Amino acid sequence: MRRSLGLNILLAIAGIFLLVLVVLPFWWVFSSSFKLPQEIISRTPTFFPHSFTVQHYAGLLTRSAYATYVVNSLIVAIASTLITLLLAVPAAYAFFRLEFPGRQALYRIILLAYAFPSIVILIPLFGMFAKLGIIDTLPALIGVNVAFALPFSIWMLRSFLASVPREIEEAAVIDGAPPTVILRRIMIPLIAPGIASVAIFAFISSWTEYVFASVLIISDAKRTVPVGFSGIIGQYQIDWGLLLAGAGLAVLPVIILFAFVGRWFVSGLTEGAVK
Amino acid sequence: MRNPTLLAFVFVAPAMSVLLLILGWPLVSAIILSLQDVRSVGSPGAWIGLDNYAKLLADPSLWRATGMSIAWVAANAVLQTALAMIAALVLSQNFPGVRIARTWIILTWIVPTVVVVIIWRWLFSTSGGMINPLIVQSGLSARPIGFFSTPWMAFATLVFINSWRWFPFVTLMLLAGMTRIPGDLYEAARIDGASAWKRFSRITWPLLKPTLGVLSVVGTLLSFNVFDIIWLMTAGGPAGGTRTLPVLIYETAFKGYRLSEAATMSVIATVLLLTFALLTVRSLDRQEERE
Amino acid sequence: MAQLKLQNIRKSFGTTEVIRNVNLAFDSGEFIVFVGPSGCGKSTLLRMIAGLEQVTEGAILIDGEDVTRADPSRRGIAMVFQSYALYPHMTVEENMGFGLEMAGVAKPERSKLVRQAAEVLKLEPYLSRKPKALSGGQRQRVAIGRAIVRNPKIFLFDEPLSNLDAELRVRMRLEIAKLHTDLGATMVYVTHDQVEAMTLATRIVVLNGGIVEQVGAPIELYENPDNLFVAGFIGSPRMNFLSARVIGRDGDGRALLTVPQLGLEGLAINPRDRDRELPKDVLLGIRPEHFRADAFEGSMAVSLRCEVFERLGNVSYLYSDIDRAEGIVAELRSQQSVRIGERASLWLKPADCFLFDPTGPRL
Repeated sequence: MRRSLGLNILLAIAGIFLLVLVVLPFWWVFSSSFKLPQEIISRTPTFFPHSFTVQHYAGLLTRSAYATYVVNSLIVAIASTLITLLLAVPAAYAFFRLEFPGRQALYRIILLAYAFPSIVILIPLFGMFAKLGIIDTLPALIGVNVAFALPFSIWMLRSFLASVPREIEEAAVIDGAPPTVILRRIMIPLIAPGIASVAIFAFISSWTEYVFASVLIISDAKRTVPVGFSGIIGQYQIDWGLLLAGAGLAVLPVIILFAFVGRWFVSGLTEGAVK
Repeated sequence: MRNPTLLAFVFVAPAMSVLLLILGWPLVSAIILSLQDVRSVGSPGAWIGLDNYAKLLADPSLWRATGMSIAWVAANAVLQTALAMIAALVLSQNFPGVRIARTWIILTWIVPTVVVVIIWRWLFSTSGGMINPLIVQSGLSARPIGFFSTPWMAFATLVFINSWRWFPFVTLMLLAGMTRIPGDLYEAARIDGASAWKRFSRITWPLLKPTLGVLSVVGTLLSFNVFDIIWLMTAGGPAGGTRTLPVLIYETAFKGYRLSEAATMSVIATVLLLTFALLTVRSLDRQEERE
Repeated sequence: MAQLKLQNIRKSFGTTEVIRNVNLAFDSGEFIVFVGPSGCGKSTLLRMIAGLEQVTEGAILIDGEDVTRADPSRRGIAMVFQSYALYPHMTVEENMGFGLEMAGVAKPERSKLVRQAAEVLKLEPYLSRKPKALSGGQRQRVAIGRAIVRNPKIFLFDEPLSNLDAELRVRMRLEIAKLHTDLGATMVYVTHDQVEAMTLATRIVVLNGGIVEQVGAPIELYENPDNLFVAGFIGSPRMNFLSARVIGRDGDGRALLTVPQLGLEGLAINPRDRDRELPKDVLLGIRPEHFRADAFEGSMAVSLRCEVFERLGNVSYLYSDIDRAEGIVAELRSQQSVRIGERASLWLKPADCFLFDPTGPRL
């Protein structure tokens, strides 16, 4: 479809606007993290760095436990993702295919989980975990992340399952496959993109989670990146260089992950949202 | 025949147990807490029934925070929808690099909140940063603008930052809705001589209404509950200018050491949200039936 | 190769009754075709035989064994779906062997059986391909192969040719016919296409609105329909139905009719049941192919005004009275061409005509 010149210009303007809006802040932060302190706070902002230094990054890695934070975050995020998938896939299949009493009601209740402020459960949950003695442990955080990721994951997976033609499942039934085999050998391979999307969603939600991580984890050795990071903000209030370097490092793992699998996540969200 | 109910139970039970344990039970606890008089974590509290509710429902600060939350939701909805609509329209076109753009538009959503906070705190800072120097240099203003200096400014700035963070998610949802509009409709409209604006207002917008409907419910719930970005940027200030309901709840619990009151506020907030969700969903269903 | 019996089958979805009291019995080795318009319940009936749909009431017996509540995989059936329903992520060999795998057959034995079926269907070169690398006809053959491998008692086909283009449809039809001859298996086939029904079936079951209108061999349905629906469904182009009035009976018990549209007086038709009293107003059924271009002994002459004339080369169709509810189509095999507006002279044999009560039953 050929577009008129006017439309093309409009498109270009809008496109550039979006590009600037989304990318420019990151560029500024990233490029400035390599600038010398004087240049960072100078009155004349520079688009391309005039200076270059890695002192901020070096300082960050030596003076703070950043590396530990990354390891913790990775453990929590990977574990949360795997457990979420393990729980959500069968549940989604059950809600989708299996007939059982209370199916509709239960499904609606799960979706309503997002209707209340997470603050609500923060206090009682802290109390409950304290009694169980699992405060300041990574598994507690993993549990919370899984709980928050489950409703959306189940919803997404269910709509992906719905897109598999019914006759394929019926053929498998006639072939004598029990539901567990159908799920494992037929459905899961066919909804692989959906599973990838859900995995990425779970990973990112877990990686960026702040509130519960800050309350449930106390010792520095178990901190995750977002919390450890805001600690650094608190400590080094006006050392912009350090903060910018920290921002860069906090973003880097996600950007690397997304460079590999981002495609699937986006296509999953856009295609999977077919109720 | 194998019992499907038993199998379903096995499939659903693990997920349900996690949800009940981590979300369900604390929710019930919170309701119980709201009926007691507990001050700090772990301390016992007397049973006072609905006293908390009576006290708080008459408390102006609760309603102020609720009003602020509503304003927060509305402002975010407008800005995010506008940005997302523009982005979705751009990304639904075909141009070199559109696929990369579609993948990376979500960049602002996948970074941790703390990073968002640092980025914008730095960019908007009055000493250094990027935006103020640009404004001063280009002559738009003689002095740097204090983006967080007054309650209104802080609120507006935060709305912008939160929208910056969330609009790509809305964009993807809108894109999903758009891909379901048959291309034939646009072609027929072109043949009929409809301008681009007409095609948008008569085809795209009406056919996106169901998607927008769902988004309005989900988006409202998510926006209302945003806590971390507000807390980390302004801690509810200055002068309570950004003290939305979640912020108030957090302050009451962890700064004011009045846990039960915080729990009461949470329950009230939940009831408000659920009512909103149910009413909206029902009216959306009715709208769909009418069409 | 098994007998199939359907006893007092009823099926409701909620409050809607889609199958009302169907009773059928088929012998081993028959090729049964369920045919009827959309929504008549033929697919539902097939799916109930397969076990994919539960019966609300009634019993299904395969070889005398009651399978009404049995799992699909335990009934000894195999099904070929309209969309083939091949597992997209598995190779042809894996697709065909999946049922055996589920039954616990060991790999070497599985390979052997799959290879045998592949030979029959000429699928050997494609065994390691995935479905998306196959053409529509090949995919259909894989679907059939998957069914053959299971060595079922009954083959079920759910509109298997609907997704193929016209030419391929004819070829696959022949393959299925040949398959039936080779295997001698009991086959139940669903289609809305009456040509497929007529060519493949040993017996046809005509369904309409959840009830069986008639069961019989194709030629029987063609020559001796029980009611208006069957008469109008079988045969293409559709039988002409014209209003007629009974003015009396002749000495041999034949009904004497006036057919205003054809300008006929005293057309004598033999009703099926001579003793039954006839209503005043009836419908006369006459197939387009029964209009002859030449007169012959005992024929009656009619004159049709040509409004549309379609020439297909080997056959032509003359349309008359198309604006009326009861239009007329005549099929002409001769080389004659009729011009629009002209009147064509044609002849009818009374024995070719059918008599129907306007409410449906054959008289």
